[in-house]
Amino acid sequence: MMWQNFFKTSVRSLFKRKLYTFINIGGLAIGIACFILLFLFLQNEWTYDRFHTNGKQLFRISSAYGEIDQPLTHTALTPSALAPALKTVPEVQTITRIYPKASLVANGEKAINESRFIYAEAPFFTMFSFPLLEGDPATALSGPNMVVLSASMAEKYFGKSSPTGKMLKIDGKDFMVTGVAKNPPSNTHLKFDFVGSYSSMNITDRWGSANYYTYIQLADKATSNALHDRLTSMIKGMMGSNTKYRFDLIPEPIADIHLYSQSENSTERGGNLQYDYMLAIIAVLLLAVACINFMNLATARSADRAREIGVRKVMGAVKRELFTQFITESAIITFLALVIGTVLSLVLLPWFNNLTQSTIRMHLEWPLIVALIAVFVVTTFLAGAYPAFFLANFKPVQVLKGKTPVGKGAALRKTLVVFQFAAAVFFIICTLVVGQQLYYIQHKKLGQDRSQVVVLNGSRFDNNSLAAFKARLLQQSEISQVSASYDSPVNIGGGYGIGQIQGKPADYSMDVTAIPVEKDYLQTMGIDILAGGKLTDADIQDVTREKQEDRRYHFYLNETAVKQLGWTPTEAVGRTMTMNGRIGSVKGVMKDFHFASMKQKIQPLIVFPEYEWFGEILVKVNGRDPQRALARIEDAWKSYQPGRPFDAHFLDDDFNAMYESEFRAGRLLKVFSGLVILVSCLGLVGLAAFTAEQRTRELGIRKVLGASSSNLVALLSKDYIKLVTISLIVAAPLGAYVMIKWLSGFAYHINLGAGVFVVAGLLAMAIALLTVSLQSVKAALMNPVKSLKSE
Amino acid sequence: MIQLQNITKYYPVGLGRNFILKDIDLTINEGEFVSIMGPSGSGKSTLLHIMGLLEEPSEGQYLFEGERVDKMNEKKRTQLHRGSIGFVFQAYHLIDELTVYENIETPLLYKNVSASERKSRVADVLDRFNIVAKKDLFPNQLSGGQQQLVGIARAIVAEPRVILADEPTGNLHSDQAKSIMELFKELNEKDKITIVQVTHSDVNATYGNRIIQLRDGHIRS
Repeated sequence: MMWQNFFKTSVRSLFKRKLYTFINIGGLAIGIACFILLFLFLQNEWTYDRFHTNGKQLFRISSAYGEIDQPLTHTALTPSALAPALKTVPEVQTITRIYPKASLVANGEKAINESRFIYAEAPFFTMFSFPLLEGDPATALSGPNMVVLSASMAEKYFGKSSPTGKMLKIDGKDFMVTGVAKNPPSNTHLKFDFVGSYSSMNITDRWGSANYYTYIQLADKATSNALHDRLTSMIKGMMGSNTKYRFDLIPEPIADIHLYSQSENSTERGGNLQYDYMLAIIAVLLLAVACINFMNLATARSADRAREIGVRKVMGAVKRELFTQFITESAIITFLALVIGTVLSLVLLPWFNNLTQSTIRMHLEWPLIVALIAVFVVTTFLAGAYPAFFLANFKPVQVLKGKTPVGKGAALRKTLVVFQFAAAVFFIICTLVVGQQLYYIQHKKLGQDRSQVVVLNGSRFDNNSLAAFKARLLQQSEISQVSASYDSPVNIGGGYGIGQIQGKPADYSMDVTAIPVEKDYLQTMGIDILAGGKLTDADIQDVTREKQEDRRYHFYLNETAVKQLGWTPTEAVGRTMTMNGRIGSVKGVMKDFHFASMKQKIQPLIVFPEYEWFGEILVKVNGRDPQRALARIEDAWKSYQPGRPFDAHFLDDDFNAMYESEFRAGRLLKVFSGLVILVSCLGLVGLAAFTAEQRTRELGIRKVLGASSSNLVALLSKDYIKLVTISLIVAAPLGAYVMIKWLSGFAYHINLGAGVFVVAGLLAMAIALLTVSLQSVKAALMNPVKSLKSE
Repeated sequence: MIQLQNITKYYPVGLGRNFILKDIDLTINEGEFVSIMGPSGSGKSTLLHIMGLLEEPSEGQYLFEGERVDKMNEKKRTQLHRGSIGFVFQAYHLIDELTVYENIETPLLYKNVSASERKSRVADVLDRFNIVAKKDLFPNQLSGGQQQLVGIARAIVAEPRVILADEPTGNLHSDQAKSIMELFKELNEKDKITIVQVTHSDVNATYGNRIIQLRDGHIRS
C-alpha cells in the first residue's frame, strides 16, 4: 500500500539521520513530558472541589470585618453561633460546621498526633461527595464520640480488618469508628484523615470568637445573592446603629475557594492563579520550542530529501500525496515522542510532585487522553505542515538537474531561532530575578532573629508547667533563651484595636496587629527596644492577677504604630492606654521588624505579655550543635508531656512556608528555563551541524586560501551571535515588564538592575556559542582535500 | 506521438533574454528510438524536460499524442506521468530508503494498481532484468550498472508509451553502458516503446534509428 511505502521511507530515513532524529524526538519528548506534568498539575488546580454532586449549591460562609474607612480583613473563619442563626434562613437547606483540630489518636498504647483531623456536623457526608466505603453517610456523625476514618487511616490503625464498630482513643476519649471514607482526592480544600463528630467537642455557640468553618447547602430555588442579602440584613439587625465598624458574611462557592478566595485561615493554602497561568504558558512554550526544532531541521535538511521528492513527482506523485507523506513522517516522530514523553512523565512524576509539593497521580482519564490526542494532532501539524508544504512544492526539474533548493526558508528559520532564544532569555531573566528576590527575602535583616529558634506545641501547658519546663530547658548549655507566644511569630493576627490612649481624644481608635507573649519573648526573638525597658517579674504579676479587672497590661508598640500616633518613641513610653478591654500603659517601643510576609508593608504592632494561652513555645538554641540541642529538648519534653509526640521544627520553616508558592515558582522556573534552553540548544546543534556541512566546500576553499581554523569558527559563529542579540533585544523588555509586575506584589523588593539583563544575555550567548562551536570546530578542522573532493 | 512546433525556451537575463532553445520543430513518431546529441549547453536536457512535461516552453506548441499539452490541467499531466511517460536519469535517482523491489513498485502505487497485480508486474520485471536476487537490497548496495537497471525497470513497470532517458549511461563504464543500450533497443523493438535519449556518445547514438543534433538551441539537420 501507499501508506506502507510512506511509512518505510520515513522510518528508514529517520534511522539514517540519527542526530536529526534524536534531536527531534528527544526535544519533542521533553516538551510532551513537561506538558503532561503541567497539564496534570493545572488540571488538579483548576478542578478543585468540582466533584461534589451538589457542588453548585455548596458555599462556605466567610467573614470580612474592619473599620469603615479601612480595607476589610477577610477570613474563612466564622463564629460558632452563626450556624444556629442560619437555621431560620429560608435560603439555607443544610448546614455543617467544621472545626479542624490536630488530635492524638491511639489504638492501644502508642498515640500519634494526627494533623488532618477535622470535627464536622452530621450532614458532612451527605453535603460533600466524599463517598463512604463503610458506614451510613446520614448517621455516621450523628452523635458524640463518633469518628470516620479515611481508607489509608483505617489500614494504618486496623490493618486489613474492618474498623467499623471498633474503638479508638482520641485525645484520651473513647470514640467509635462509624465509617470508612474513600481517601479524599488531591483536588479538595477539605483534605482529611479523620472526621470526628462535632458534638464530641462540647462547643458552646458564641459570637465572640471566630474559629469555625461554616458550610451551607442552598435551598433548591435560592440564589447566593439572595442569601448574601439575607445575611447582610441579619448583621444589620445585630449590629444596630454602629457606624464605625463593618462586618460582612460572604457566601463563597465551594469550587471557587481554592483559586479565588481572598479569605485567610482557609483549611488549605489557596492556589495562585498568576503562577498557574505562568505554568500553562511554560507548557505551551516548551512544546512550541520543540516544534520549532522540528520545523527548522526539516526545512534545513530538505536538500536530503529533494531527490526523492523529484523522483516521486516524475512518477506522478501530486502535491497532496507528498504532503501526506511528510505529514505521516511528522506523525511518526510525534507519536514516538508522545510514547517516550508519556513514559518520561510517569518516571518524573514523583520528582515533580516533590518539586511542586503536590500529590498528583496519573490516571488515564478522558481529559488527559483528549489533551494527549490534541497535542499529537497539533504537534504533528504545527511541526510537520510547514516542512511538508515546503518540500511538496519543490520543482522536480531543478532537483533532478542537481540544483538543490538550499537556503530557501532561511529567513523563517532565523526568525524561529530568534523566537526560541527569546523564550530562553526570557526565562533566564525571570529565574534570575525571582532567585534574587527570594534570596533577598531570606537574607534581609528582619529586625528579629528567627534563626536557631525551635518551635514546640505549647497548647498543653499551663502556666506552672510551662515555667518548670522553661527552667529545665535553661539548665542546658545548648539553650540560651526560652519563651512562648500565642501564635507563631511569623503569623501574628490582627483584630485588635487601641482604644483610649493618653494624649488622644476619648473616641480615638486605631486598628493594630497584636500578639500575647511570655516575658522573654523580645529577647528570644532578638527584637531591639528603642525606648522603655525590659519586662520585670513585677510586670508579669500585674498581668496574671486573678480577676480580669485587677490586671494591668504592659504594651510594646512598634515604630510604625508610634509614628502613626504622631509621637517619638520616648514620647510614647509611659502613656496609659487600653486595647480590647485590657487596661495598661506603654512599656516600650520596638524597632520595626517584619512580622508578616514581605508582600505587606509593616503594620502597627503591639506585643504584650498575657498568660492566657500559648500556642507556641520558642526555644533559642546555640548554633554549634542544633541536633544535640534538639535531643535535650526532647528529653525535657518527655518528662513534662509524657505520651505526647514530640513535634519540633525550626522557625525558619514557618517563615519559608509563607513564601511557599514563591519558592515553588522559583524552583519550577529554574527547571523549566533549563529545559527551554536545553531543547533550544538541541535544535541549534542540528542547525549548526547542517550549516557546517552545507558550507563544507566553502570552508575547504577558504582553508586552501589560507584561513585559519579560528577564522572559520568565527565565520560560522557570527550568524548565531546576531540571532542571539536580536532575541535579547526582544526578550529583555518583556522580561523586565513581567518581573516588575511580579516584584510590585512585594512591599519590600529588590530593584531591577541592568545586571540581570547583562548576565542573561551573556549566559544565552555563551550557551549558544558553545553549542554552535562544537560543530564549527569540527568543520573547521576538516582536511580541505576531503571536503573539496566530495563535490 | 510527440510533436513540437516552434518551441522556444529562454530565461530573462538583465534586460535581455538568454535563449536555451529557439524555434524547435520536431516530430517523433510512435515506435521510434531517437538520440539527441550535441555539446554541453546546447539545450538537450531542456528539450527532454519539455518533452517530459517537467518544464514548460516559453513559446510554441507541444502536442502529446495529438493533444495540446499547454492546454492540459495539472491532473491530466499527472496522468501522463503516471501512465505514459517513463524517465531514466544519468544519476539513476533511486530512492535510497527503499529496496529494489519497493523502488520498482512505487510508480504502480501512484497509479493505484491493485496489490496482486503490482506483485506480478514487479515480479515480471525483476525476472526479465535478472535482478530477482537483488530485490531486497538497497540502492547503495548495488553497482552503478545495476542501479541503472533498476532505474529502467522502474521506468517501464508502469508500461509507459515513451521512455525519456537523460544520458542514461553517463555514469557507467563501457561494458555496463553496452548492456543498458541493448536493453533499450530490445524495449524499443519488442515492446514497441518509443525511446528518446540524450547522449554524448556516438556509439550509444547508433542504437537508435534517428539522431538529432542540437547546437546553441537549434536543430542541425
